[in-house]
Amino acid sequence: MLKIIACFKWVIDEQDIRVDQKSRELIMERVGYKISDYDRNAIEEAVRQQEAHGGSVVAVTVGPPGARQSLKDALSRGPERAWFISDPSFAALEPSQTAAILAEAIKTKGEFDLIICGEGSSDLYAQQVGPALAQRLGIPCATYVNKVTLEPGEKKLTAERKLDDGIETVSIQLPALITVLPDINTPRIPSLKQVLGAAKKPVEEIKKSDLGQDFQPRLETISILGATMERRRLKYSAEAADIKAVVDALLKEGVIA
Amino acid sequence: MAGIWIFAESREQTLELISAGTSLARQLDGAAVVTFATSRQLAEEYISCGAGEVLVLPPLAGGQPLEAYVPAIIEAVRGGDPDIFLISATQRGREIAARVAAALDTGLCSGCTALKLDKEKKQLIMERMLYGGAAVQTVVCSGRPQMATIPPRTFEPAAPQEGRQGKITELAGVQPSPVKVVGRAPKAAEAVDITEAKVVVCAGRGFEKKEDLNLAQELAQVTGGAVGCTRPVAEELRWLPEDLYIGISGKKVKPGLYIGLGVAGQIQHVTGMRDSKVVLAVNRDENAPIFDAADYGIVGDLYDVVPKLIKELRIALNK
Ligand SMILES: Cc1cc2nc3c(=O)[nH]c(=O)nc-3n(C[C@H](O)[C@H](O)[C@H](O)COP(=O)(O)OP(=O)(O)OC[C@H]3O[C@@H](n4cnc5c(N)ncnc54)[C@H](O)[C@@H]3O)c2cc1C
Repeated sequence: MLKIIACFKWVIDEQDIRVDQKSRELIMERVGYKISDYDRNAIEEAVRQQEAHGGSVVAVTVGPPGARQSLKDALSRGPERAWFISDPSFAALEPSQTAAILAEAIKTKGEFDLIICGEGSSDLYAQQVGPALAQRLGIPCATYVNKVTLEPGEKKLTAERKLDDGIETVSIQLPALITVLPDINTPRIPSLKQVLGAAKKPVEEIKKSDLGQDFQPRLETISILGATMERRRLKYSAEAADIKAVVDALLKEGVIA
Repeated sequence: MAGIWIFAESREQTLELISAGTSLARQLDGAAVVTFATSRQLAEEYISCGAGEVLVLPPLAGGQPLEAYVPAIIEAVRGGDPDIFLISATQRGREIAARVAAALDTGLCSGCTALKLDKEKKQLIMERMLYGGAAVQTVVCSGRPQMATIPPRTFEPAAPQEGRQGKITELAGVQPSPVKVVGRAPKAAEAVDITEAKVVVCAGRGFEKKEDLNLAQELAQVTGGAVGCTRPVAEELRWLPEDLYIGISGKKVKPGLYIGLGVAGQIQHVTGMRDSKVVLAVNRDENAPIFDAADYGIVGDLYDVVPKLIKELRIALNK
């Protein structure tokens, strides 16, 4: 039976972040959280493959205790259970730590055929966790996958990778890992019934002490500053006189000729 | 061997990283710049352009992806113990870098957009985008080597110099990768390169149907520009080729004038156009975030505004 692991991250919704124009500090009050955009595609793809071929899907996340709120959302999207790898020190992990923690947890849990990750997380977008996890587990991987066809009988998959210079189709023996692009599928919107059902699905907690390691960061953040932009922010209406004023201003700027 | 090591998918990107590497090497009292190459001919060119040593990877068997080099690269890096390892941030480069960093248990700054050296600590200080481009993160790497992937075109390519000498080392055979390439469909080159355009007219999801993009085309014609778009216009609606979408996951543009039509101005998009000299936006929602990223904002329906704009521009430009 096909065993699929879908990895996801619970992230700050970047649309809620405000920047103090003077200090360039990020204003994080009132930020909401979400399942990282690409990971919604990862969960969806895992569930679709399970629907097509049978087997099971477990959704896995690493995070601080507060990330527990993500589990219901993830489970309402179809996986039948979740692993919550959590510790208060898992709050601002860098990608090498996340990959190392996932690798240890997956090793302790044992068997799987396919791991699906998003192309990158929508907060850090480092695009490291998928391939680094594959490397740590010693399994082959295909990144930037746009289409995947599983042949569970033959224990293999065929994946189309969308790269800068075209499409590359690869064939890999399972167990393997893929990272998926947003256009691989359109994630479903969970129904009320699915949301309610999610609360009853099993969640297994994995603690740092279960993993017997310290997971030190290899990358240290010195600062995070908001990106600011000097713009004039002049507003005009759609009246003819206003449009003429804009055209005159553009001519004056010397950007059209 | 230590020094600054470089791996990139293409010749052009290798030359860009050689130029970054040689400037770091000068600050590190002439540390060696060591570059990977896929042929002897390239190796000689890299030496003439500033590399001190080139490691030549053996050719890959048919049906092997570039990523098949990962174990060979890991082995070479283990043996050579570089201080710094720079890899081009193409898609393949990003995978290769992540796997090498994981194998060596070191830190990797992905998509590094600026770097400088703390000479005393011999530490790279690297910048990258965070939260879709809303913030800039500055990081240092505490593992060894210090690794970064660097987007293509961040540095000027290094140029050849007269009479440079260097060492060429051939690396041993590469184990076949368990990932087998069974098909390749190269992408047709797009006729327009929006990164070169002086004026970019960007079509957002405010357009109701594909035919209406003629309005954007016409505006581009009058202003001597090219049409680009937001990601959903390319990836969801498929009205324009993917090469034309602007943003953190698409193209970065820095035209003299960017005109956004029916573009909301979400951070991931703005990150791709923030270096434009002048920004004009047309949006019917006066609270659209694009107005914070614009010099001139016209609040109105693009179907009403754009024809008026075209008419006014024709008069002004005598076209
Ligand atoms: C990880 C990640 C990466 C991403 N990368 C990119 C990227 O690289 N590039 C990118 O573009 N996006 C990217 N996105 C998506 C991005 O967040 C936005 O969803 C997208 O840019 C919105 O496109 P839009 O402005 O065309 O559409 P919408 O958000 O739908 O906005 C349409 C706008 O048009 C206005 N409008 C509607 N009708 C009219 C009319 N008749 N006249 C005038 N105005 C009108 C509306 O008021 C609205 O503001 C990314 C998202 C994520 C999560």
